[in-house]
Amino acid sequence: MKPRALRTAAALGALLVTLTALTSSAASLSLTSQNFTPYLTCTVTATPATTTAVIDTTVKQGNANGNFGAVNTFTVSSGNTVNQRIYIKFDLTTCSPAIPATATVRLATLRLYVTVLPAACRTIDIFPVTASWTELAITWNTQPFGTTINNPASGSRTGTFNVGTPAGCQNLAAGYVVGATVTTDVQAFVAGSSTNFGWMLRDDVEGSATTRTDTYSAKELATIAQEPQLVVTYVTVP
Amino acid sequence: MWRRAVGLLLLSAAGAVIGMAASVTFTTDKIGASTVTVPRCTAASLTVLQNLTATTITSVTVGAIPSACGGATLQVTVNNGTTNSSGSAAVPAGGGSVTVTLAVAQAVSATEETDLVLVGP
Repeated sequence: MKPRALRTAAALGALLVTLTALTSSAASLSLTSQNFTPYLTCTVTATPATTTAVIDTTVKQGNANGNFGAVNTFTVSSGNTVNQRIYIKFDLTTCSPAIPATATVRLATLRLYVTVLPAACRTIDIFPVTASWTELAITWNTQPFGTTINNPASGSRTGTFNVGTPAGCQNLAAGYVVGATVTTDVQAFVAGSSTNFGWMLRDDVEGSATTRTDTYSAKELATIAQEPQLVVTYVTVP
Repeated sequence: MWRRAVGLLLLSAAGAVIGMAASVTFTTDKIGASTVTVPRCTAASLTVLQNLTATTITSVTVGAIPSACGGATLQVTVNNGTTNSSGSAAVPAGGGSVTVTLAVAQAVSATEETDLVLVGP
């Protein structure tokens, strides 16, 4: 059952308007209203493990023709010829009700559960993918962004967060990372100005002399409390 | 006896309203229409976090609520595609974060809709 009344209220954004006075002239009809602030949120969660609403995998430079789409974890790594990148996509068309193309996205957050953190605080860059890929076929050699490390350039990232155990690092303990905001990308997906092929996450500086790796829970782990999520909060009335 | 008194009182009130309505005069033969923006306490990027117990959503924490919404009532409804459940809580005077407990825990599904409404202040 859908909360129709509430959704209608959110769409109209104009309830709670009350007549307060009727006097002798129609010209003096007055209305008062109350603050009424509606938000809608669509949360896409990688559950069950067989869902196709979320696809996630790792591509590994050290195993350039291998596919890891069925593995329980995915990783970002920076090292000498052993760099690793995450590819992840959430199908926003599964949102019910559908997010209107005219919606204004207030906040979109990528939630990934980190289980292993590097000993150094590393910056992870988020890039919107610009070509299609499939979970059980993509490899380092076939990935949309190609095999050149540190490509695309960090400057073209649309989101970023830090992860590592040193004090002061943005995410320094196991749990859902904070700071992975992808609002601009999701707004473009919703509006149709770009196609949703998901995101690629890589270390900001690939090719580290000392290998630095962070590991996250994948949907195949089938642990709901650690599943990848995309949380999109939007309004239909600007 | 008291019922009769109340009835007379209501009748008197109704009469007064009718009397006022009868005095309404229209000074124009045109009726206009307009749209007025409903006032809102914020257009901020509120954070929404589902709190789980095992495989169910038991509450929702809404954060980054600005102080302009302090004193409002936050209503939350979670719909998992099969069932829905609601709850509400007051927003502290300074805004901030509010956790709303759902009347009935909702099973986590691949896609959930969470409706938030801040009423007031």
